[in-house]
Amino acid sequence: MSDPREIGRPSGSLAAPDGILPAGTYEPEVLPAGLTRAPVGVNALATEHLIVNMGPQHPSTHGVLRVLIELDGEEVKAGEASVGYLHRGIEKLAESRRYSAVGTLMDRGDYISGIHNEMAFALAAEKLIDVEAPRRANWLRSLMAEINRIASHLVWYGPMGLDTGAMGPFLYAMRDREVLLDILEDVTGQRMMFNYVRPGGVLADITPAAEKKIRVFLETFDQYLDEHIEILAGNEIFQARMRGIGVIDRERAVGFALTGANLRASGLSFDVRKDRPYAAYSELDFSIPVAQEGDCFARFMVRMEEMRQSVRMIRQCIDGLPEGEFTAKVPKVLRPPAGEAYGAVESPRGELGVHLISDGSDTPYRMRYRPPALYALQVGESLLPGVLLADAVVILGSTDIVLGEIDR
Amino acid sequence: MTRIFGTGILRSLLLSFRQQRRGTITVQYPRERLVLPERARWAVEIKPHEGVEHTCTGCRACEKACPDYIIRLDITINEDRSKVIDLWHYELGACMMCGLCVEACPFDAIRMGHNYELAVTDPADLCVDLLVESPAHEPKRKVAAATPPPGPVEHGVPVPSTVDSAATESSATPEGSDDV
Amino acid sequence: MSIVQVVVPRVLAALGLMLLNGVVLIYMLRKVLGHLHLRLGPMENGWHGIAQTTFDVLKLLTKEDPTPKAVDKALYFIAPAIVFVPSLMAYAALPFSNSVRIVNLELGLLFTFAVLSLVPLGILAAGWSSNNKWSLLGGMRAVGSQISYEVPMLLAALPVVMMAGSMNLGDIVRAQQPLWFIYNVPAFILFFVAGLIESGQTPFDLAEADSELVSGFATEYASMKFGLLFLSEFSNTFIFAALTVTLFLGGWGIPFVPEAIMQPIAPLVFMIKTYLVIYLLMVIRGTLPRVRVDQLLTLGWKFLLPVSIAWVMITGLVIKLGQTVFGGAQ
Repeated sequence: MSDPREIGRPSGSLAAPDGILPAGTYEPEVLPAGLTRAPVGVNALATEHLIVNMGPQHPSTHGVLRVLIELDGEEVKAGEASVGYLHRGIEKLAESRRYSAVGTLMDRGDYISGIHNEMAFALAAEKLIDVEAPRRANWLRSLMAEINRIASHLVWYGPMGLDTGAMGPFLYAMRDREVLLDILEDVTGQRMMFNYVRPGGVLADITPAAEKKIRVFLETFDQYLDEHIEILAGNEIFQARMRGIGVIDRERAVGFALTGANLRASGLSFDVRKDRPYAAYSELDFSIPVAQEGDCFARFMVRMEEMRQSVRMIRQCIDGLPEGEFTAKVPKVLRPPAGEAYGAVESPRGELGVHLISDGSDTPYRMRYRPPALYALQVGESLLPGVLLADAVVILGSTDIVLGEIDR
Repeated sequence: MTRIFGTGILRSLLLSFRQQRRGTITVQYPRERLVLPERARWAVEIKPHEGVEHTCTGCRACEKACPDYIIRLDITINEDRSKVIDLWHYELGACMMCGLCVEACPFDAIRMGHNYELAVTDPADLCVDLLVESPAHEPKRKVAAATPPPGPVEHGVPVPSTVDSAATESSATPEGSDDV
Repeated sequence: MSIVQVVVPRVLAALGLMLLNGVVLIYMLRKVLGHLHLRLGPMENGWHGIAQTTFDVLKLLTKEDPTPKAVDKALYFIAPAIVFVPSLMAYAALPFSNSVRIVNLELGLLFTFAVLSLVPLGILAAGWSSNNKWSLLGGMRAVGSQISYEVPMLLAALPVVMMAGSMNLGDIVRAQQPLWFIYNVPAFILFFVAGLIESGQTPFDLAEADSELVSGFATEYASMKFGLLFLSEFSNTFIFAALTVTLFLGGWGIPFVPEAIMQPIAPLVFMIKTYLVIYLLMVIRGTLPRVRVDQLLTLGWKFLLPVSIAWVMITGLVIKLGQTVFGGAQ
């Protein structure tokens, strides 16, 4: 197969190796490579392509993302994403933190789905120290993970409406998310940086107040989910904005190492929960939504269906929570033997993996964080040439990127 | 599903109108406040116990557990091997409220409090001495930060160390700085 | 001297109505959107935030008014005026009752449409002179959409003119006693859609699409210039709603109420109806997504224009048939 980086590479100006302009120079008379300027004369029409900066501060880039877009009128000729505005050095900081503290770092990668980040790290660490979490801990992990998945999908759904211009669905999604964040706060203590899933188990057991809130949520959310789907997907304007836009075919998806809902909307049914089960997923009964078209609307419907499946899983987890310990006995300060391990979870964005290398001391030697949204951003960027400006915003939004994960 | 073009728009307008039956979610903050759950993690406080002022023995387990070296204890050891805690320094401004210090304490001396109204007007107020008062708005004694901010660096001249050679056992240099 | 005595009070009345509308509409928008979105809107200034707009206007008046360095100075300064003055002029022909109106124009409808068609020019001037690529995109989108929808809007209003027999807005209202012209549903839908686009409302507010163009053509404007642009946008909303009420919803009339009772309260009825239509516009604004530029132009040129031409012909045919079958002039 050809080099996947060539698939979407435009042949225009933005493919220059050091970006738009050579580093350190700006001369107004010198044109950036690839730009052409038609001759200006009395009877000649002078046109040029606009290079617009959808800058780090923009209402529609999901985080601090900078996209340089070369426009011909309203049509995008080439696009280049420039990341790094949120880089905090998580992988390097992990090399000087104890294993119990690396969980706090992982929370801040993909900050919207903290449970999945912590779980990936916990799985890798458990492989290193050869400890298995008890059954109740696994069920609690799945429960919290599915609650976090719905919360994360709601955060994607709201701004998806905002990208197309609809203000209402954003606030209705946030209204539903408040219920979930209350549940998470009851169980873990925080609304966002949970520090809940640890190597060996979880931090604490579920409280009766949280259980009551979960049951109330389960009674009402299915109907609200139907309304969310109806408000946007049933709307002809929304469908006209989303159908046929940003089609990712299977070859491109596999070539860019896409995972998660983006991949499943292109026809490939791969889900880490089914194919390499972890936590309690091998005992839960759920199905994986798959779509064939691969356009933005397919990704939208796949994620809405995933929310419904998550509700199903939460119901099973709450009803069937087994008795037992919520954590295995692990020492306070972990000193795993030298070795390496890879733990992967299905985060709302795709397969989130942590590759841990230990050298026997109490801090990791190397922690590599595989961010699924990075590959989604690369696919989104490769789809930009040829669409209109409004579609560029929609395409980037439908791939559900979070800059915290991409920049780490 | 055959639908007349335009009915979807009308339906979404009706749905949007009907969402209002859920009532407003706004909590008008200074006048109304939400009740925090028991496990909510906010600023660290010394936990009150009956009969004693506190149960901290100066074992430094919290200091070692903190990922960001925010806690610093200054302890004087007397001749009869008893400890006096001079300073229980806690840098509130840098704390991420992860709760690892509370988990590490073997004597149940600290807890994650529920006080989230921590804004101050003077950055020096963000470094507090927990044994004098809990993190509040007017600390009685202002303390310096755990490590002084580095001065202008001259190339080749190392930043002077802050450890003084008195008999106080203090951990001014953070532990855990392994060389990889 | 008598010309001045006639003109100045009317201009002042129009200005006063425009400012009053702006103040009320801004507050109404924030409250309606707030409650639609399950939140409260302004609550702090005054009882439930009623004084919020006053303070906002005071803030706008006292803000610094920076002029970016490389703007086209003449156009930059005059563009808000080009946008504001036609909106003010469009109040001229609106009928508030049999006797209360700014001026009684025989060609009131045509005058209103003609004056409103100057607004896209101002938007383009604002976008171009700002020396900002995002503003330029907003200005070009505005010109592309709003200018191309003027013809369908006028054609959609023609069936009403045919049914009423005159372009005088007062005559059109009187012709709607007791049956409002909304029974001509296709004309109503065509006019409503075309008018939404003309007044720059969601789902067609491309000129200042927040999620793409930050603030569109108004990005580089601050303080009172921004205030003028903002005010004229709300003014256009009011004009469009008032036109809808006049042409299709019976103007200041309530069916089966005798004239004597009707006339004193007619302006109130007119304003209430207009504000109900504006409420509907705000619900639409808070809910629907935006169409893309090429979809908008496709909708206009390939759908609205032929359909409105066809509907004019069909309405004319039906009216003529009605006249020949039932006899007499209608």
